[in-house]
Amino acid sequence: MLASAREKNKVSCHTCGRINPLEKASCLRCHTPLHSRKKNSVQRCLALSLASIIAYIPANIWPIMIVTNLGRTEESTILAGVATFWQMKAYPVAITIFIASVMIPALKLLALGWLCALSAGWIETNPRRANRIFWLTELVGRWSMVDVFVVAILVALVQLGNIMSIAPGTAAVSFGLMVILTMLAALSFEPRVIWDNARQSASS
Amino acid sequence: MACHFCDSLHDVELIEEGQTAYCNTCGSILYANKPQSLERAFAFGLTGVLFLLGMLFLPFITMEAQGNNLTTSAGETVIRLWLTGGPIISVAVAIFIFILPFFQLASLIYLCLPLLSGRAFPGMVPVTKLMQGLQSWVMVEVFFLGTLVSLLKLIKLADITLGLGFWSMVGLMLSLAAAVGGIDKLELWDRIEVAYRRRKTPDVSVEGGVEC
Repeated sequence: MLASAREKNKVSCHTCGRINPLEKASCLRCHTPLHSRKKNSVQRCLALSLASIIAYIPANIWPIMIVTNLGRTEESTILAGVATFWQMKAYPVAITIFIASVMIPALKLLALGWLCALSAGWIETNPRRANRIFWLTELVGRWSMVDVFVVAILVALVQLGNIMSIAPGTAAVSFGLMVILTMLAALSFEPRVIWDNARQSASS
Repeated sequence: MACHFCDSLHDVELIEEGQTAYCNTCGSILYANKPQSLERAFAFGLTGVLFLLGMLFLPFITMEAQGNNLTTSAGETVIRLWLTGGPIISVAVAIFIFILPFFQLASLIYLCLPLLSGRAFPGMVPVTKLMQGLQSWVMVEVFFLGTLVSLLKLIKLADITLGLGFWSMVGLMLSLAAAVGGIDKLELWDRIEVAYRRRKTPDVSVEGGVEC
């Protein structure tokens, strides 16, 4: 394991990557305020994850779409939508929506919790594995927005007067909020802390 | 330089075009020397803006059902969404699909055009920061997947014809990826620093050389 910039009394700029002396308050090249480690990363990440869990509940309980078909109104939740596609034998669509709207958010929250526990030092693992999982968490987060966009397109296009119309449900907004909150949680997480812990246990 | 993930300190070595440097400790990408980076980022940035305009104004989709005929562009779709009861969602779509991609492409063009001849424009540092900050929030490719899923639903309700606006969206998605992926972040910052130093303004401090 190579020595970290911090151990050498340096700090690398989060924005432009320039190496600065540790005591500098802002980057010599791009003037961004410098932090050797993001401040309170575990608390922030946990707080934002918790907020997104709170938004995740109404997102799954309330209807995401309200379909009016010849005067008959039908409300459907995310899971009901997946089930409908499955019954229609549209398996790829059902699987896509299930992965993007149900699995990714849930796995992402689990991953963030696990990463926070790692940085707090409650559990230990190979830091390389933690690194890969963090990278994956950052990568897949945005794809959960897919369901919100589907609702947006259907609502805008299916307005056939009395025959059929689709309105967005309350879950659409809470679901979007949940995705944004998990993205912010991933952004506030600091992977370097896990490596600091690994360096410390390697030297002691 | 230090690894963005694990903070390991590395000496920066010159690498050849097309090569990528990885971190010795955690295996993440440190920096890459992309071939013809400025030219590509600029060209794809410009193409992207044209596709974005096409997506906004050209017919995106035509639906025909029970005598009703509807043709809309993506721009109109957002307005329709606002009117039919989803103002929050319509604003979110407009931000993630039109506004942020536009700012990202525009900043890339603003940076690459002067840098092609080694010149520095005012405000390059904040513009680069803006471009980097937008990275996670540009969701054109997610919207593309959303469109495909909705089409599968709509096919059951109406006859669908895809218009030029739809293909512009595909073009926008590809050019965005090519433009942003065309230039390495560290290379961009190094070029900006060199350009500013050549202009000898105090805007960017240069003590310590080009090491990054």
